[in-house]
Amino acid sequence: MSDGNPDVMDTLAGLADVPGLAALRRQRAEVVKHLQGSDDAIFAPAHHGGLTRPEREAAALRVASLLRDPVLEEHYHRRLVALGEMHPLNGARGECILAHVDRVTMDPADSTKADIDALLGAGLSPHAVVSLSQLIAYVNFQSRLLAGLRMLKGAA
Amino acid sequence: MTRVMRDFTQGELDWQPWLAPVDLDAATDAQRTALKITPSNRTVGAYSLVLAHDPEALEQRSPLYNAIMFGAKGLPRAERELSVVMASRINGCAYCASVHAKRFTELTKAPDVMARIQADGADAPLDPRQKAIVDYAAKLTRDPAAITPADAAPLRAQGLSGLEILDLTHAVAMFAWANRLMQTLGKATTPAREGNPL
Repeated sequence: MSDGNPDVMDTLAGLADVPGLAALRRQRAEVVKHLQGSDDAIFAPAHHGGLTRPEREAAALRVASLLRDPVLEEHYHRRLVALGEMHPLNGARGECILAHVDRVTMDPADSTKADIDALLGAGLSPHAVVSLSQLIAYVNFQSRLLAGLRMLKGAA
Repeated sequence: MTRVMRDFTQGELDWQPWLAPVDLDAATDAQRTALKITPSNRTVGAYSLVLAHDPEALEQRSPLYNAIMFGAKGLPRAERELSVVMASRINGCAYCASVHAKRFTELTKAPDVMARIQADGADAPLDPRQKAIVDYAAKLTRDPAAITPADAAPLRAQGLSGLEILDLTHAVAMFAWANRLMQTLGKATTPAREGNPL
């Protein structure tokens, strides 16, 4: 909030009414800056590398659903609706992406090289494979930070 | 004991990518910027070269990681390392668990702590402050939806400030991210040597 505006994480955690907690986050200004920067780079990159914006929002929605975070789900659902393409993860490509989302979120240790090869085989570029992996990992990060911020908010 | 731990702390772990890394000689300007390549610095590991396929994400993630793990004041660095060892063990990221166990022991000069965690995981006998940190890290890693305001109480009882709890949360969350990249874009290859904590 070097510019005084709430970021995505403030909004998701509902910190508008909790100025103390929003201010606490600003004690870690570099974290706040590069967290919002990551959100921008992951969902609205200048070059999407073959992983489309609707695919990104739909994959994030799936992570939020797996982690049972209704606020995150609503966030990504709303962004997907705004793009006007509700079911971008159809067909073999979409199924392959969703399988990756599920495994990386719930059982990351079960990953194998065959999973990466399957994504490449489904037409994803190396750029898109890395973007998808960053996205899944980022939403997993988001859910943990949100849980911690809600805890601090509720315990204040 | 000290010798054994020193042996593992010097153990070089390797990481083999499952996706061809970016060829540094063919890297775009955006990739070189994200990798912080300069004429005097061309030392980049395979992991970073894989992430460089998406330079925009990498360029943000690297400083975010550094701010979370090395930011001044707040939660002592060793306790950040402790929390991410627990997160990495639960996620099953052998590479991350080993690297950060080593850092913890370097910072604390207390190899017995990682020895106990190696033996008993999240149930390891620890001092009360370390126990509170490890318990929170484990719960947040396993199931963030299960965290409630009551989970702050054990941390507060051990004297953690709001900033320290935020730092702890950032660290655990960062490894929900870092572990997943490491585990799904390649494979850790761990040398089977005596004293290796894995």
